[in-house]
Formats: sequence, structure tokens, C-alpha cells
Amino acid sequence: MSLAERPRPQVDRDSVPWWEAVRRHELLVQKCGGCGTLRFPPRAICGRCRARESGWVPIEGTGRVASWIVCHQVFMRAFADEVPYAVLHVRLDDAEDLFMYGDLTEGDPAEVTAGMPVEAVFTDVDEDLTLVRWRPR
Amino acid sequence: MGLRDRAAIAGVGYTPFSKDSGVSTLTLAIDAILAALDDAGLAVDDVDALATHRVGDSTPPWVVAPALGVPEVSWYLDQFGGGSVSHAVIGQAAMAVATGVARTVVCYRAINARSEFRMGGTGRGAAPVFDAQYQAPYGYFAPPQQFAMATRAHMIKYGTTHEQLGHIAVGQRANAVKNPRALKRDPITLDDYLASRWIAEPLRLLDCCLETDGACAVVVTSAERARDLATPPVLISGAVWGGGDSFFSGQGGDFTVSEAARIAPRLYAMAGVGPEDIDVAELYDCFTYSVLVQLEDYGFCAKGEGGPYAASGATSLDGPLPVNTHGGFLSEGYVHGINHIAEAVAQLRGTAGDRQVSGAEVALSTAQPGYVLAGTSALILRTDA
Ligand SMILES: [Zn+2]
Repeated sequence: MSLAERPRPQVDRDSVPWWEAVRRHELLVQKCGGCGTLRFPPRAICGRCRARESGWVPIEGTGRVASWIVCHQVFMRAFADEVPYAVLHVRLDDAEDLFMYGDLTEGDPAEVTAGMPVEAVFTDVDEDLTLVRWRPR
Repeated sequence: MGLRDRAAIAGVGYTPFSKDSGVSTLTLAIDAILAALDDAGLAVDDVDALATHRVGDSTPPWVVAPALGVPEVSWYLDQFGGGSVSHAVIGQAAMAVATGVARTVVCYRAINARSEFRMGGTGRGAAPVFDAQYQAPYGYFAPPQQFAMATRAHMIKYGTTHEQLGHIAVGQRANAVKNPRALKRDPITLDDYLASRWIAEPLRLLDCCLETDGACAVVVTSAERARDLATPPVLISGAVWGGGDSFFSGQGGDFTVSEAARIAPRLYAMAGVGPEDIDVAELYDCFTYSVLVQLEDYGFCAKGEGGPYAASGATSLDGPLPVNTHGGFLSEGYVHGINHIAEAVAQLRGTAGDRQVSGAEVALSTAQPGYVLAGTSALILRTDA
């Protein structure tokens, strides 16, 4: 099994620029042109002020573990050789209410703790896809 | 107030529950509907509306109706969605009869959730929800994983323990022992629970509901008409659905509060009762944690106290708030929500046999509290005074 056999992201019209940036190893979020709120996942319209203008801004790529799980059950064959693996719910350092999910890399799933500092890692899967994963910082 | 007591449940019906029904979801639906009509003392010719929900895994009303021989359909509902909308289907049927749009609605859910379409991608691909793109590539897509993430957050914030979750699993199994319909009827202990294997830490096998083939149907008609039918009506006093944040998307980062907290005030207000009036609660238990968080969010204990409350024995059959009296999805079987409603009806009719809660007059029955897709739904049912 390899990373290439994992489910591919089903990119939509709002998320194309985000995945393109990830391909360049840049971690971006949207910044609302109306109220300035940082936004993820990507959306065309701000849920707070309804503004349609927004820009893409780089973020630090650091955060802390808000919650996490350690997966043992193999629900998909692509992960058969990876269990047990940890999936993190990461609270980004850039704003109070920005979160991203990702799997733990370069760390021991058994040693994850609440609030643990982590940083984003870009993993090139193949010529089309790069994934954002997280390692202890 | 809104829908209060204007519609009633006049009949319920089941197919047997199993791991392999050997028949189509169409056959399951028809069998459950016929049983429910029989229970109500009605015939297929009386049916003028059908309602269900599904996620690409079952047979829609416009296939069931002609196969069943319904003469003419005046209203139907083919709701997209999983457990979170299970009770909204009944609520919408109540609206249809209260407005006179329909007269007799058969609500059903028919699934082969073990032998055909298993939840969480083991029998089919990941859910076609667009925010899955930020999760599925990392091995995060199955319901036990999503609820494990929420469980961990609750443990971090409130100190909730594995043993407290275990009490929920053990207690519900004790109820299932008294339920001839239940798939799991061997008693379990807390040690059995703690010895069961990890699925996704912090959830074990015994935190997870069963995957079941089966169907259940409920007949909804006006309260007035229900009083003339074969069995005493169970009134739909409150029926609410909705919510707000989608926890699934990553917007809204606090997993320790479910959508139940948002709809509970509207639900109680519609029914004109409060948590202290609930005699029996059938709380959506896809996982033990969903019971725990709903004990808090429907107001049966303080926020954060769901673990100690469950461990206190308060939710056992002889406690102040019997919960999941049939064993729930953990032990009876999982028909995606509707079998909670059917059990609440049995408790209010006083026909629940060895597991009957004496004097039950008001019941709460709830849907998946909004973790996988946004929103939830719930009913307050009561006896006809
Ligand atoms: Zn804005």
C-alpha cells in the first residue's frame, strides 16, 4: 500500500486554488474582503458578512492538537499497512477558530497529547497530488 | 403551539433484524409497512402518503408505492440524509397530516446495512460530501472515527472516562436481554467492555452500534382519526429538526456540544414539557458517546456531567431516566433511528413486556445529534390523556 492508493480529494470549484497552493507547498486560507475573518475550508461567500470578495493569505502552518484519534480498524484497504495511525484535529495558531484535519507523520501515535504543538508537512504523493500532514514541533 | 398533539402514531411494524436479510430493501420496506398497517387496523387502500430518508442505500417511495399497491399518492417525502434526519421524517409526516395534505402517511426506513451498504465506506466509497476532501485522504472518513474525535474532545475538556462510556454499553445490553427482538442478548460486564478491541481510540468495538439488515415502519395520521383506530394513539407533541454548524466541515471547532443543545429549547417549548417530565428517553446511540452528549444537551444533567450521570445508574430501567430501553442500536439493532421511535411507542402503549417502564406517559426520541452532517431532529411523544 502507498499514499497513492488513499482516497483522492474530490476537489470542488471553491477549493481548486487551495489544492494548487498545497501542490506548491504553500499553506493558504482565505481572508474575507469584508470583515477580515480568516476562513477554512474555502468558500466563495463569507458566512459572517456575506461578502464575496476574499484573498488568499499564507499562514504559519503551526498549530496545536485540539483532539485526535488512533485508528486501528481497517475501513479501507489503502490504510491496511498504516494502522495504528493517528488523525489530528489541529487548531491553527493563526486564528482562534481555524482547524484542519490531517494524519500524524514522523511521530508516535501513542504519544500524542492534548495541546501538543505540531507543524504542517507537505507530502508529494505523485505528479498530481500533495497532501498536508502534521508532525510534532 | 405549532404541531403539538395534532398528529399521532397509530401503528408500528418491524421486519426481523439480522446480519443478512437475503431480500431487497424494497421487500423489507413492504413487510414493515404491512406490519405497521396491521397494527393500526388499516389497509393499503387507506395509505395516501409515504415518507423515508436514505443515503443512496434504500428504495424510494415512488418505487415502494406501486409495489405495495397504494391506489394514489397525495404526498411523499424522499429525504436525503442519514440518522440525523430520521426523526425529521416523522415530523414532516405530522405536518402533512396536520395541514390536510395527507391523511395516512407510512414512514419507513429499510436497509441492508450489513449485507449490502455498510456505513463508513466498507461496502462503498467515502461519503460524497464535499468537505470530505480535507479528511478522507488522511484516513478519516468512517463514523466511528468521527465520533471518536468528538469523544476525545469531551475527555480533554471534561475528564470523561472510558469506564463512563462502558456503563452506557453495559446498561443498554442489560435492557436488550429483556427484548426478544434484540440481536445481542448476552449480558456484558464493564470488564468485557474494557477488553473489547479498539476501533478508533478512544472508541472500542463495544462503543459501536450494530450493523443491521432490517426495516421498521410507523403510521402517522391525525390525532382525531387515530382515536378511532385499532390501538390507542401516541400523540406527537413535539417535532423539531434543524441546527446550524456542520462539525464535519471543520467549521465550528467545539465537538463537546452537539446540535441537540440547539434544538432542545424549541422541542420542549412545542410540547409544553421540560426534561423533568420525560419518563423514558430513546437517545440516538450510533456510539456510546452520542448518548452521553445528549444527556447533557437535552438537559438531563449539567454540561460536562454526562459521564458521571450515565455511570450513576440514573439511566437504567429502574432509574429516574430510563434510556434506550430496548437496548438501542448498540444491542437491539440499527435501523438508522426509526426503531427508537417504535420503542418509544411501545413504552407509551405499555406493551414493552419485561422492559416496560411503569407509568410511562411522555417519551423523548432523538436522531443523530449532528456530528456527521449538520443538524439533528427529535420527537416528544405522549399518551392520549
Ligand atoms: Zn466576512
